[in-house]
Amino acid sequence: MGKTHTVAKLIDTTTCIGCKACEVACQEWNDQEFTVGGAGGSYQTMPDLAHNFWNLIKFHEEERDGKMSWLMAKYQCMHCFDPGCLRACPAPGAIVVLDNGIVDFNHQNCIGCGYCITGCPFDVPRLSPKTNKVYKCTLCSDRTAVGLEPACIKACPTNCLSFGRREDLLDRAESRAEQLRSTGVQQAGVYNPPGVGGTNVIYVLAHADRPESYGLPRDPVIPWTVWLWKGPLKWLGNAVLLGGILGTFFHYLRYGPRRYQDAKD
Amino acid sequence: MPKIEEKIDRFSFTERATHWLSALSFLYAAFTGLALWSPRLFWLASVFGGGETVRGWHPWGGIFFALVLGFMFRNWARQMRIDADDRIWLRQAHRYAVHDETGLPEAGRFNAGQKILFWVQSVNTILLLSSGVFLWFPERMPRSFRLAAILIHPSAAVVSIGAIIVHIYMGTAAVPEAFRGMIQGWVRPGWAASHHPKWYREIFKR
Repeated sequence: MGKTHTVAKLIDTTTCIGCKACEVACQEWNDQEFTVGGAGGSYQTMPDLAHNFWNLIKFHEEERDGKMSWLMAKYQCMHCFDPGCLRACPAPGAIVVLDNGIVDFNHQNCIGCGYCITGCPFDVPRLSPKTNKVYKCTLCSDRTAVGLEPACIKACPTNCLSFGRREDLLDRAESRAEQLRSTGVQQAGVYNPPGVGGTNVIYVLAHADRPESYGLPRDPVIPWTVWLWKGPLKWLGNAVLLGGILGTFFHYLRYGPRRYQDAKD
Repeated sequence: MPKIEEKIDRFSFTERATHWLSALSFLYAAFTGLALWSPRLFWLASVFGGGETVRGWHPWGGIFFALVLGFMFRNWARQMRIDADDRIWLRQAHRYAVHDETGLPEAGRFNAGQKILFWVQSVNTILLLSSGVFLWFPERMPRSFRLAAILIHPSAAVVSIGAIIVHIYMGTAAVPEAFRGMIQGWVRPGWAASHHPKWYREIFKR
């Protein structure tokens, strides 16, 4: 057995035609009960991700210099190297990082507190009102475990989606961005945000200088309050609680009780 | 002068019932809260029915506690006012802690430490309740409020639990017979004269 490689999904937004085959494949493979949401006035299937809709192409129309353009970007869990959801989670084993880098939710351990929703820099996990558990894209961990590619990638007709070793895909993303730049798409680049240690979902964007036009956060980081909460505050809190117990115990050993007979005179 | 065998009423039934309802609901909320505080304390969840149960009931335990504390506040807030003597006492509280009390002002029905506990818990209950609502319904609350709540809620809880650790110690080991005052409701005259002299004199003035 060789070493497990970190896997990744590459989304080349410049070749996405917005066909939504990936959305359908995701719904089918994950056997989702789907209710049509609709996003008024847009081609988008849903206004946003949902507990039973993990993979959404966001359609952004923009007008710049008198020219209309349609920016499409598939949106789902980014499978961060340093997952904010995992930092925030109190239930051991509910969120796990697999050997191949996939960030997966184990629903038998999930308690539905929703802290992961607050910890996620990409606003991805969704709470199901039916099961009171949190759901998101698994990068088809049940398929990749047996050597299959994720359902969305399998369904993509333009090869805008690809799946493989992370380092291979990063190379491919860089050379694709280079190719785009050489054909006049000056701001083409790779989206692999360093604030979360990089992600296992990588984008090639025609306008990498402004990822927010695609609905992607410019510089996603784990919120500093989450860091403070799970770092210094936790240690300070533990020190106070332990200090309280030990302090009162040793106070008793040293000074003993206040007896009124003694204090009388 | 009253005899040593006499009993003085310390806390009424209503006061004791309120105190113990708040104590039990506080301990429930505190232990279930600690289960959600860190994965290493998650084992506490299994003591209280498992993670999902804890997630479901911790907020209700907190709301019950807040209601009881509201009632307690109504009954006690007036008696808990911090007066000039209390301020002097608080400045020298360290001397009380080492049983060197020469020159310390005398305590009334509640000493300054008890009063501080009352106000700390009152303020913290407001903080815990208001921040807890945002953590209760994560999907219906604005993210910026949730990000503040994940700091406010545990911070207030740590102060509360820390204060309660000292309170439990004071009410049991550190001040013998105080516990009986809160369980059976009475204390001996000598105890009252020593621990709460101003209160003692008020009673026997009548």
